[in-house]
Amino acid sequence: MADVVNVGVNLEAFSHAISGIQALRSSVSRVFEFLKDGMKNRETLEGREKQFIAEFQDNLQAVNRDLNELERLSGLVGRPSESHPLHNSGLLSLDPVQDKTPLYSQLLQAYKWSNKLQYHAGLASSLLNQQSLKRSANQMGASAKRRPKVQPSTLVLPPQYVDDVISRIGRMFPDMTIELFRPNGTSAVLLVTLGKVFKALLVMRSLFIDRTLVRGYNENNYNEDGKLDIWTKSKYQVFQKVTDHASTALLHYQLPQMPDVVVRSFMTWLRSYIKLFQSPCQRCGRFLQDGLPPTWRDFRTLEAFHDTCRM
Amino acid sequence: MSLMRSELHFSNVSFCSVCQVPVAEGKSVQHTVDVLHKKLEQMGSVKQGSFCVDCETYHATNVSGQPSKLLYVMHNSETPRSCMALYEGGPCIVADANFDVLMVKLKSHFQNAKGHKVECRGSRYRYCDFLIKVGTVTMSSSARGISVEVEYCPCVVPGDCWNLMKEFMQSFLGPSVPELPSVFATKPEGLFAQAEIVDTMTQYLELFNKLRKSQIPGSNVR
Ligand SMILES: [Zn+2]
Repeated sequence: MADVVNVGVNLEAFSHAISGIQALRSSVSRVFEFLKDGMKNRETLEGREKQFIAEFQDNLQAVNRDLNELERLSGLVGRPSESHPLHNSGLLSLDPVQDKTPLYSQLLQAYKWSNKLQYHAGLASSLLNQQSLKRSANQMGASAKRRPKVQPSTLVLPPQYVDDVISRIGRMFPDMTIELFRPNGTSAVLLVTLGKVFKALLVMRSLFIDRTLVRGYNENNYNEDGKLDIWTKSKYQVFQKVTDHASTALLHYQLPQMPDVVVRSFMTWLRSYIKLFQSPCQRCGRFLQDGLPPTWRDFRTLEAFHDTCRM
Repeated sequence: MSLMRSELHFSNVSFCSVCQVPVAEGKSVQHTVDVLHKKLEQMGSVKQGSFCVDCETYHATNVSGQPSKLLYVMHNSETPRSCMALYEGGPCIVADANFDVLMVKLKSHFQNAKGHKVECRGSRYRYCDFLIKVGTVTMSSSARGISVEVEYCPCVVPGDCWNLMKEFMQSFLGPSVPELPSVFATKPEGLFAQAEIVDTMTQYLELFNKLRKSQIPGSNVR
């Protein structure tokens, strides 16, 4: 608590310095006041000028004097101690009305939290860096480098290439029909019909699947104006759940260098829903749990589980 | 007037199973219905309005004096703007609701079998993606039996979800769950043909005919 004592000694210097600043301000405003009023009436023009210059000099000297005084005082005030971990904010602890304004304790708390956050973020970043398969791997270097501005080259694939990849994947899965639309510029939207089970909309950015929405086989995928409806979710709970799981799968299957492999892996996983209503849960052996069939499919084994029966 | 209709829900109907629930020994029809309602509510089902399926029978008059075939004209409150006409052992058509007016004009060919009108009324319940309809079947103002229709709305192929459906029905009907409705089993594509609205009506018709032939259980009439 050396700071407290230290600051206490300098309090008088502080108050002097504050009156110094006030003096400087008033002398400076006197200068401008005087200039504004202009020359006073005298018998001769010469007399007028002489008088004006003399008074102007007096005023400027007063400013100079006050400024020097302030500089001297500021030397006395001295620098606040830098040994305090929170630097000047440590002065908040001097507030005598702690109970009414608990600013300082709140500040300490916030500081601790932000320290912890930084620490955990550092750990997470180094962990993510080891998993080079993840989509943001090369953007989250532990060094404080800024994100690269250039987009990965895989984001600017020609539409023809995307079409080819998709039609090749479509031929791999005979029980899946893939229709490709380009409603807004070059980005594709795929309408995947899986048997007579469901229809999935995949919104693409180049060869990356950005978003997915699963609806029933008997649900409408078009708006009244005949455009693809990529927003309205299914009215059936089972497909709302499958949509959630498919979104999770999109985050799971990532390989930035080989986006076509990612699309193929995702489609293989999605295809395992062909028996959505026919497969009992691999854990509890039942078809229904809370009125829903097993909506989860394991990412590796493709086995069916109820949402609450997985793991 | 158009006889053939292309309403969206006809091509996209989901799988329905209609079955008869026996009236509990020594109890009334209403009591058994109440017990079913209670079970459904305990499961967490939510009541969603009511429903009605009706059926009129017509005799086809013929000149040759052979035994005439029957024509059934049915309505379902789920598809209020339509009317289903099922010809015994023959084709069926889905028509506009004013098909009834046509039947009046055709009365020289089809005679309404008076007193053969069957009605099935009851409550609809929703449980997750299931739609359950518990109905009381009435013939000439006497309650003859109980129907339970279960629809699994997300699925259009009976063969896909029959096991799932059976498990669901067991949860409130007990172990005595019926077999897969024969209407699906007799289709050329088998169980994997897409369900149609007519399949549901055929099941109701079979149930009505079965109840018509059965003896009136004296204590059950209300
Ligand atoms: Zn399970």
